[in-house]
Amino acid sequence: MLKLHYNLEKVSMGLVAAIIVAASIGGIVEIAPLFTIDETVELPDDLRPHTPLELAGREIYIREGCYACHSQMVRSLADEIDRYGPYSLASESAYDHPMLWGSKRTGPDLARLGGKYSDAWHVAHLIDPRSVVPVSIMPSYPWLTRPLDTDLLSDSLATLARLGVPYDDGMIASAAADALAQSRPDSAAMDGFQERYGERPAARAFDGDPSRLTEMDALVAYLQSLGTLTDAPFRTQAEDSR
Amino acid sequence: MIETLSVPERRTGTILAILLALMGLAMAAAARHGVMSAHGFMALGLGLGLAFRLGGGLYESEPPKDRMHRYYDAPTRFGIVMTLVWAMIGMGVGVWVAALLYWPEATPPWPATCFGRLRPVHTTGIIFGFGGNALIATSFHVLQRTSRARMADNLSPWVVLIGYNLFCAWAITGYLMGSTQSKEYAEAEWYADLWLVVIWVTYFALYIRTLARRNEPHIYVANWYYLAFILVVAMLHIVNNLALPVRLTVAESFPVWSGVQDAMVQWWYGHNAVAFFLTAGFLGMLYYFLPVRSGRPIWSYRLSIVSFWGITFFYIWVGSHHLHYTALPYWAQTLGMTFSVMLLVPSWASAGNAIATLNGAWHKVRDDATLRFMFVAAVFYGLSTFEGSFLAIRPVNSLSHYTDWTVGHVHSGTLGWVAMIVFGAIYTLVPQLGGKKDMASPRAVEWHFWLAVTGTLVYVVSMWNAGITQGLMWRAYDANGALSYSFVQSVQAMAPYYLLRTIGGGLFLTGAAICAWNCRATMRGAAGQATDRPLVAQAAE
Amino acid sequence: MRNPTDPRNLPGADPHTGNRKIDPVTGYDTTGHDWGGITELNTAFPKIVIWALVLTFLYSVVSWILLPAWPTGRDYTRGLLGLDQGEEAIKGFNDLSDRRQDWLSRFSGDDFDALRADAALMAAAMPAAARLFSDNCAACHGTLGQGGPGFPVLSDDTWLWSGDPEEIAMTIRHGINADDPDTRYAEMPPFDWMERPDRIALAEFVADLPNGPADFESSAGTLFSENCGSCHGETGAGGLEIGAPSLTDRAMIYGQYPEAVMLTLRHGRHGVMPAWTGRLSEAEINLLALYVAQLGQHGGGPR
Ligand code: HEC
Ligand code: HEC
Ligand code: HEC
Ligand code: HEM
Ligand code: HEM
Ligand SMILES: [Ca+2]
Ligand SMILES: [Ca+2]
Ligand SMILES: [Cu+2]
Repeated sequence: MLKLHYNLEKVSMGLVAAIIVAASIGGIVEIAPLFTIDETVELPDDLRPHTPLELAGREIYIREGCYACHSQMVRSLADEIDRYGPYSLASESAYDHPMLWGSKRTGPDLARLGGKYSDAWHVAHLIDPRSVVPVSIMPSYPWLTRPLDTDLLSDSLATLARLGVPYDDGMIASAAADALAQSRPDSAAMDGFQERYGERPAARAFDGDPSRLTEMDALVAYLQSLGTLTDAPFRTQAEDSR
Repeated sequence: MIETLSVPERRTGTILAILLALMGLAMAAAARHGVMSAHGFMALGLGLGLAFRLGGGLYESEPPKDRMHRYYDAPTRFGIVMTLVWAMIGMGVGVWVAALLYWPEATPPWPATCFGRLRPVHTTGIIFGFGGNALIATSFHVLQRTSRARMADNLSPWVVLIGYNLFCAWAITGYLMGSTQSKEYAEAEWYADLWLVVIWVTYFALYIRTLARRNEPHIYVANWYYLAFILVVAMLHIVNNLALPVRLTVAESFPVWSGVQDAMVQWWYGHNAVAFFLTAGFLGMLYYFLPVRSGRPIWSYRLSIVSFWGITFFYIWVGSHHLHYTALPYWAQTLGMTFSVMLLVPSWASAGNAIATLNGAWHKVRDDATLRFMFVAAVFYGLSTFEGSFLAIRPVNSLSHYTDWTVGHVHSGTLGWVAMIVFGAIYTLVPQLGGKKDMASPRAVEWHFWLAVTGTLVYVVSMWNAGITQGLMWRAYDANGALSYSFVQSVQAMAPYYLLRTIGGGLFLTGAAICAWNCRATMRGAAGQATDRPLVAQAAE
Repeated sequence: MRNPTDPRNLPGADPHTGNRKIDPVTGYDTTGHDWGGITELNTAFPKIVIWALVLTFLYSVVSWILLPAWPTGRDYTRGLLGLDQGEEAIKGFNDLSDRRQDWLSRFSGDDFDALRADAALMAAAMPAAARLFSDNCAACHGTLGQGGPGFPVLSDDTWLWSGDPEEIAMTIRHGINADDPDTRYAEMPPFDWMERPDRIALAEFVADLPNGPADFESSAGTLFSENCGSCHGETGAGGLEIGAPSLTDRAMIYGQYPEAVMLTLRHGRHGVMPAWTGRLSEAEINLLALYVAQLGQHGGGPR
């Protein structure tokens, strides 16, 4: 062995090849099976992708770095189930490019956030967290009241569709209109929106002002969608409890 | 830089600079507005600046004819300067974000300066800016010295360093303007990722070409580590950053991976960014500067072999320890946990080898703050890898994950190990590069040492307390089987620790600032040549 | 073939003179290589490293045998213990639920008076209620139920609906104006049709109500009686249990100043209290209802 190495360390490309081999095995063994073992991700029938407005909100969540303080992954631990709700399933983030599981909980987990608070609370909290939670150390995001740029939405949906997220051509074509419709439920575009996305996604003036489509609309719509894309975690929990 | 290049090299350099400017122009023109156009203008400005400098000085006096028989240290000097610049940026932002967690009201009401955008500025600025420049700069030095050969050519070191710093600048200005892929330690957008691939290939080619010119048949251990750093980081970077741009003219993209596979790829990358960026490369640094400074031979060649291959092979498996109890399948977690435990052995073997190398030089450790930096680095390397393997055990991780314990572990590794070894290397290198005997102020080195050690201890101990408190509060149950604390109570409990951490970080930053000043004072004036022995020309392979 | 581990053949021998360089400190020779002054010792491989490798490897093998570990293509080894982390977690959660069962289950029924009378039970339960309140309700209603702009005070004794635990439980279960088929409905209609001077007068009148006896014969008072009394009560004291708040206490939800009332009159109000069925169990909801009812009695909560 020593002799072998003694010779190897005289040949730079040999060393290079050996390093590549040694450093490839682990990754291959751990990553490849995640695509081949079926039970890794079991897509539930009721899983829906994000609507264009929620997707825009997700991009804002990413842009502002909320993931630096908030996880979206309830671990399989009794106390986390107790505090946050059913533990997270792999299928829940199957359409998430990238996933936002997070690695630090400076603030609480958000995986089960949808429906927990009202839109008005989110708006107040995002503009000034300390106005509602005096001891909060979360930053304020007062600039989120600016208009939402929907220019990229169609292309975003198209890109995700190429990666396997179930957006059809109609959804791609009317992404910007659908974003507007979801924040202005009384408008005429609402029918088209519901035709494409069904009744489940909440459609409201999320920022409280139906006359303007703002970044706040998008972010709050996204926050309200967290944990509501499928009921699978609740079903799994109910089955296992029995 | 220019005085070390020949006229043909200046000409090629000018052409490359013009190409860079054209690329920038094309980006700016295609994107028209937004982050990508700002980045285009940055490249345009840099390219034009370089082109004017090189083209304008095309016929200035040429370097001495015998330059190919000397080591090429100008790029190293530039890399060290950039290391110190990024240290100030990265650590300055680190202290600032630490302060924000104690004093959130201090956040100015504009987007670029809120915590979520600044945190990746800190991590990228410090890991890639500070760490990366230190690695590249020292690797150039170590490679030439341990090969007894001059760099294979005179332009590629500049391409690597300048191109790499452009990547860092693109990355952090991108975050400030709101463009990020959100993948930890790989947040830069798609075109910056591509740019880094180009730079990295140049770096690898330069490394391997120079190695081929070496005058000692055996490749020294430091170079094994630098090679592993270059190769594996390339592999990780490419796979983790695979993404489809939303449009070719915007700084927005979607990673090809999603959900659980994305999580695994991300932490396969993320952990090995730790392993091959923050560890392998710096072990290379340790393996060179420790024996040089202490004047001692490496304690055990055989141990070096086992540690190197152990580290290279085991590390790659352990990324899944970042995903314990998550939706990642249990089997992958078990592998991550067990390989992390086995990884402790080669890690401690490296630390032990370094410390044993100091046998016979303990009096120097006592007297020489520079050597003490390296000694403390080796100790913290041992500490943080022990802690890491411990945290990787599932039940321990159930307590520590998501808490500030992780942050404490991170900084025992990065402050105690990475930054300390960099300072040790800098204090060895800078006088040598400047043709001086010692740093301008040896007393300042002593001050820096104690500030760094105190800062690290205050930081790390406060975060251990914070993390364990947090973890225990989240899972505390009262006698009646009900959760004892609400989440915000745990937030409130963090306040004193966050304050202490800010103070510890401030001490560390002060030390680094003293270092930067001292290096400037040492480098100023004397444009001396390194006094190492000249080369004998002959190829090894 | 030369045996490289045989000391006589060790590469430590100087390639030119044949002499080995012995390091005076450790007594070992060097490998004979010299990289710009750096040398390496030929120290024997420390046994302890081998032992450590063996030990950690054994730990790993045992783990691999017991736990899910190695992928096998389309499947993976399940491990002798047959563990599934999801099931483990639920089991742990069920254990916790069992521990709470003896007192928490008593809250599943709705005999609130009996529950309230049981001092020992309440003492055991109130810390849990306080934690639940802090994690779920305090964001809106404040840690002590003191409310906040847009969110009603729960620690006083005027109620939108009622201070009865039954009614409070109903509110928590289904929310107000919430996304729930059985939610309570309460809307303050906009009075944007009203002339602006009238609105201003009315706003000043309402903002002044808490300050003492008001003149309902004045023009603003008449406007009030005609338009608002039906919901907020003749004197504006609320208490009709239809979700319309008292306007005479000092705990106005949206602020006790004319500008806030103007906004209310112009746009109406449609405050949303989320529904908690699904998120909290029936027993937890009842527990919270009692807790909130107590907040009202003690004006600040038991803690
Ligand atoms: C500096 C860390 C930090 C950042 C960055 C941050 N938060 Fe928070 N967040 C907190 C803390 C601490 C809390 C708990 C206190 C509170 O409720 O404000 C919190 C609470 C929340 C809550 C309430 C969760 C619950 O269940 O009570 C939401 C929703 C939230 N944050 C959303 C966001 C969004 C969206 C962003 C980005 C735009 C963000 N946060 C950025 C620290 C942060
Ligand atoms: C998103 C914010 C929010 C949260 C969280 C919230 N509430 Fe409310 N709650 C409200 C609002 C707003 C109202 C008043 C609705 C209205 O204006 O008609 C209200 C009303 C109530 C009332 C009726 C008060 C009365 O005077 O009759 C009770 C009781 C109550 N909440 C209890 C709770 C409890 C218990 C929780 C936690 C489980 C909770 N709330 C969580 C916003 C919230
Ligand atoms: C249909 C019933 C109804 C009528 C009529 C009505 N209100 Fe209201 N009012 C409500 C309800 C319900 C709320 C609580 C709204 C909420 O918080 O969601 C409310 C809230 C208010 C508030 C805010 C209270 C606070 O605590 O901040 C004011 C002020 C108010 N009403 C004034 C008036 C005045 C003045 C009139 C007459 C011009 C009037 N209301 C007529 C039902 C009514
Ligand atoms: C002046 C000294 C420093 C200070 C005050 C500091 C402060 C911080 C703070 C406040 C955070 C965010 C923690 C959180 O989100 O809760 C952080 C994260 C981080 N820092 Fe530093 N830092 C310093 C130096 C360094 C150095 C020298 C390095 C690397 C060489 C480094 C690497 C990191 C990394 C990798 C993270 C991310 C940790 C994670 O995601 O868990 N830091 N630092
Ligand atoms: C044997 C060696 C090591 C092992 C097994 C190890 C293991 C771990 C574990 C288990 C975590 C916590 C993951 C979590 O719960 O989120 C972690 C986080 C981390 N470690 Fe280590 N560690 C080792 C060495 C190091 C060293 C030497 C450094 C730095 C120089 C380092 C830097 C980090 C960073 C930056 C993180 C934070 C990642 C993130 O969440 O953003 N580690 N490590
Ligand atoms: Ca709107
Ligand atoms: Ca990237
Ligand atoms: Cu790791």
